[in-house]
Amino acid sequence: MKNFLTLFQKEMLESKRNGKWIWLPVVMMILGVSQPISTYYMPQIIEKAGNLPEGAKIEFPVPTGAEVLAATLSQYGTIGTLLFVLATMGIISHERQNNVLTLIMARPVSAFQYIASKWSSQVIIALSSLFLSYILTWYYTNLLFSPVRWIDVLTSFLIYSLWIIFILTFTIWIATLLRNTGGIAGVSLTFLAALSLLTGLITKYMKWSPATLRNGATSILMHNQSNDIFLLPIFTTILSSIILLALAVFTFRRLERF
Amino acid sequence: MFVQVNQLQKRFNDHQAIKGITFHIKKGRCTALLGPNGAGKTTTLHMLAGLLSPTKGSISYNGEKDYRKHIGFMPQHPTFFNWMTPVEFLYFAGKLSGVPKQSLIEYVNNSLSFVGLTEVKNRKIGGFSGGMKQRLGLAQAILHQPELLILDEPVSALDPTGRREVLILMEKLKERMTILFSTHVLHDAEQVCDEVLMLKEGEIKWEGSLIDLKKVFSHTAIHIETIEPIKNAFDELIKPEAIHFTTDNNATILEITPSLQTNDLLTTLISRGYTIQRFEVMEDSLEDAYMKVVDI
Repeated sequence: MKNFLTLFQKEMLESKRNGKWIWLPVVMMILGVSQPISTYYMPQIIEKAGNLPEGAKIEFPVPTGAEVLAATLSQYGTIGTLLFVLATMGIISHERQNNVLTLIMARPVSAFQYIASKWSSQVIIALSSLFLSYILTWYYTNLLFSPVRWIDVLTSFLIYSLWIIFILTFTIWIATLLRNTGGIAGVSLTFLAALSLLTGLITKYMKWSPATLRNGATSILMHNQSNDIFLLPIFTTILSSIILLALAVFTFRRLERF
Repeated sequence: MFVQVNQLQKRFNDHQAIKGITFHIKKGRCTALLGPNGAGKTTTLHMLAGLLSPTKGSISYNGEKDYRKHIGFMPQHPTFFNWMTPVEFLYFAGKLSGVPKQSLIEYVNNSLSFVGLTEVKNRKIGGFSGGMKQRLGLAQAILHQPELLILDEPVSALDPTGRREVLILMEKLKERMTILFSTHVLHDAEQVCDEVLMLKEGEIKWEGSLIDLKKVFSHTAIHIETIEPIKNAFDELIKPEAIHFTTDNNATILEITPSLQTNDLLTTLISRGYTIQRFEVMEDSLEDAYMKVVDI
């Protein structure tokens, strides 16, 4: 436990020094806030940019606040996933490549302590960034569109967090398997994209899929489904995250050369 | 027995790096692991440091299972987190090795001053030279005052000054802890080690004390140079097969019988009217012994 805390503090300090604590929240906030703002100013943007014929008139239905937040979640689902994978891909392979890992593992550190420190620090940074971004977006949405209840925002955030945890855990597992950061990002993104695509295409057979949680978070905002439909994906997501974490510890322990 | 290694084997895919070696490390002694490149020195040290698991065989350290807190390890090319300062890194390393909080400051300062890095202790490691990193590598290895210090090629990458400095540090450390180090610079090994372990192609070729090694393999020769042609100088004194003539005026006597005293040889030569320019009794160095062992 003590070694876990030491490693965890080191991860936090490293993320502070290399600026991850700055760029990830800032990029996420820009990504989130741009959704309500661009939606609000869409008529003006089109008027200024488009070569519309004289007298053309476009009517935009004003979306509800919930719809704007739901669109933000879908932004998180694409660019957000990319950002989280990119922020996580190098955390183990970097230490393996420059050999500093030999200095750590020559001390009484267990594979579990090491992986757990990486995992928890990444989860905290990612979820903090997501939370800040989501809260700021909610503030602008309330300002520019119809208000959204805070309880809906919080519930959808929690559901969505599980998907983020799943992404990070999967990436960390791949990071213990491969040495090359590009490969780690490639494999992780391909898998996550395939999972999302399959979940969208054959919804009927993919009710258990962690990617369902993304739609789940949206549905909570829009109030169009009862919550207990998500119990299955919540369960499989938590379970698969635990299994992936255990696998990461297992493969890390079996590494031949650090 | 302090550290006992039994039938240790390591296989990387289809490459058998270590082919079942058995040896022990004596407490308080300084052991040098010698061998050509690719002999398996680093693999052996990594297994001892707990970084690699053996394919077969066992390592017993006073009968303890996870003995990593008792050892200090310095890899061949120590690398650190470039964004940390030496003090931060040593605190981090010390905490991982379970150094009690109240003594941590003292331990960190002691090991920094031991390797002579006190002045740069708050600078970023990223800007350090190779020699400074090597010294910091030594500082982190001795930080928690381990019983066994494992050093992988501690001097090979250093310039002559840095090499001397590290050897002097090792000389001091010998009094406090057991040291096992690998090297292919034999001259350096000769200066600090008491015990020698020679490895070649994953097998132990020779094991024992430095003194014994020299006794077994060393062999004295006498090199003589005279102004006059030396061809017939040794008639009735030494068997012709034992003499190797380089030029007319140069001879090396390869085999010396115990009955032949060097002084007698010298006086006989002078009495026979030779003008001696050079008379040298040469002892084999560790390098010669090493070459003999490795070439077997």
